[in-house]
Amino acid sequence: MEEFDHEVDAPRGATSREWEVFVREDTADPLTHVGSVSAPSTDIAREQASSLFARTAVTLWLCPADETQRYQTDDATLGTGNTGDDATMSVDEMESETLRGENR
Amino acid sequence: MISVSKLLCDLDAEGDGLRYDAADESTKRQIRDEKQRRPVVVWNVTKQCNLYCDHCYAAADTEIADGELSTAEGKALLDDLADYGAPVVLFSGGEPLVRQDLEELVAYANEVGVRPVLSTNGTLITEERAQSLKDAGLKYAGVSVDGLPERNDDFRGVDGAFEGAVQGIENCLDAGLKTGLRYTITERNAADLEGVVDLLTDVGVDRFCFYHLDYGGRGTEIVDADLTPEDRRQAVKRVCDMTREYHDRGEEIETLLVGNYADAAYLVEYAREHMSEAQAQRVYEYLRVNGGDPTGERVADVDYQGNVHLTQFWQGYSLGNVRDRSFGAIWEDESNPLLSALRNREEHLTGKCADCRYAEVCRGASRLRALTVEDDLFAPDPQCYLEETEIHGSPPFDTGENSVASGSSAD
Repeated sequence: MEEFDHEVDAPRGATSREWEVFVREDTADPLTHVGSVSAPSTDIAREQASSLFARTAVTLWLCPADETQRYQTDDATLGTGNTGDDATMSVDEMESETLRGENR
Repeated sequence: MISVSKLLCDLDAEGDGLRYDAADESTKRQIRDEKQRRPVVVWNVTKQCNLYCDHCYAAADTEIADGELSTAEGKALLDDLADYGAPVVLFSGGEPLVRQDLEELVAYANEVGVRPVLSTNGTLITEERAQSLKDAGLKYAGVSVDGLPERNDDFRGVDGAFEGAVQGIENCLDAGLKTGLRYTITERNAADLEGVVDLLTDVGVDRFCFYHLDYGGRGTEIVDADLTPEDRRQAVKRVCDMTREYHDRGEEIETLLVGNYADAAYLVEYAREHMSEAQAQRVYEYLRVNGGDPTGERVADVDYQGNVHLTQFWQGYSLGNVRDRSFGAIWEDESNPLLSALRNREEHLTGKCADCRYAEVCRGASRLRALTVEDDLFAPDPQCYLEETEIHGSPPFDTGENSVASGSSAD
C-alpha cells in the first residue's frame, strides 16, 4: 500500500486568498469538492460561491486553501522539482531586457 | 474565435478544421483533432510581466508571484495535455518571455504533439529570442497591440511599448515565425483599429485578432470604457468591411473576432444585408458547426499555479488544480454542477437569450460578463448588440443534411 509521502504545499490564489468550495446538492449526498474561488474575505468568498452554486446546492462549505494540508502518493504527483523562481527573470533582468525599457 | 476572413471572403486558414470542421475544404495543412472535442489550453506560465496593462485579465504584475509551475511540472502538464488530446497550448502570462525556460517548454510541447503557440506583448522578443522560439518549434506568436502609439502606450503603462511590440513583431517575421496581432477593442481605442491594421500590414503581419473586453482581472475595473452596443456593432461592421476591402484589392489578411458570440449572429445578418442570402446561409452553417461560445468546452485555462479555469478570463473560479489531479480528470468531471450546467446552458439561459433565434450559434456568449454585471450566471450577456428584430423568430435557416458543413453545398 502506497503512503502519502508527497505534500502539495505550493501557494494558491493568484490575486487574493483562495477558498476551496464543497457543496451538497441533497442532504443525502456526500459533500463534493467543486473547485475554489478567489476572494479577500469569507463573506466575499461566500457571495462568489453562492453566485456559482446556489442554484443547485443545499450545503456550502468554504475552506481556506492555505489552511488545507494536502498529501498524495508519488504516482499522483505532477512532475518533480522546485517551483519556478529559478526559471524566471529577476525584475532587474526583465526591465533591462525590455525593448526601449529606458523609457520607463 | 470567429474567422471573418473565412466566413465572408473564403480565406483558407490552418485553424478551419478546429473551428468549422472544414478541413476537407481547405488546401492548408490543418490543425485538427476530432472536431475539437478537446479544448485549446491557455497556460499562463507566469504572472510576472514587464508591462502593466489596464485591461489585463490575469491581473499580472511586475513582481514575481509565488507558486509558478516548475519546468519539470510544466513538462508533466504538457504530457498530461498530450495524453488528453489537447490540440493546442497557448503560452501566455503575465508575459511568458520572462520565463527563461520558455523555449524548453515550447520544444517539449512540440515533441509530445501539442501545437505550441504564444501570446505576448512583444517587447521582450529580441532577434535572438525570436530565433530560439522558432528553433524550438513555436508555430505562431500573437502580439498584443491596443492602438496607435499614444493610445497603446497609455493602455500598457509604459512609454515605448508600441515601438517595442512592433520591433518584436519584426524580429519574429525575420525569424520566419508566423505572427499576428491581438487587439482588445474598447471605447478608448476603437478609432485606431484600421490605422493599426494598415500599419502592421506594411510591416508584414497578415493575421489580426480582435477581442471584445471580458470582465476578468483588471478588465473588471474598466467596464466603463467598454463599447456601447451601438459602437460595438459599428466596430464589428468596420472589421467586416475592412476585411472585404483588403481582399478585394488582393491582400488576403486573416481577421478574427474573439470573445462575443453575438458576432456570429451579426455576421449572418451582415452577409444577408451586404452579400447574398446564399452567403448568409453558408456563414450560418459554418457557425453552427463552430458551436458558439466555447467556455468550459473548447477552451480551457491553466494558470501559473496550476489552477484550471473555464476560460483564461475567468480566473476568480477554479475547477481544480493540476498539482492535485490530471487536467483531463478535472475537465471531464461533470459531477461539478457548474461545469455540467455550462455545457448544457441552452436549458438554463434566461431573458432574450432563452428564445433567441441565434441561440445555436451564440449560446448566450459570455457567462462571465453576465455574472459580473447581472450577478446571474444565465442572464443575457450585457455586450449583446443584436436588435430586437434579429433576436425573435424561428432559426434563420433550416439545418440538416444539406448544410455546407456536410460538404454538399459549399458553393
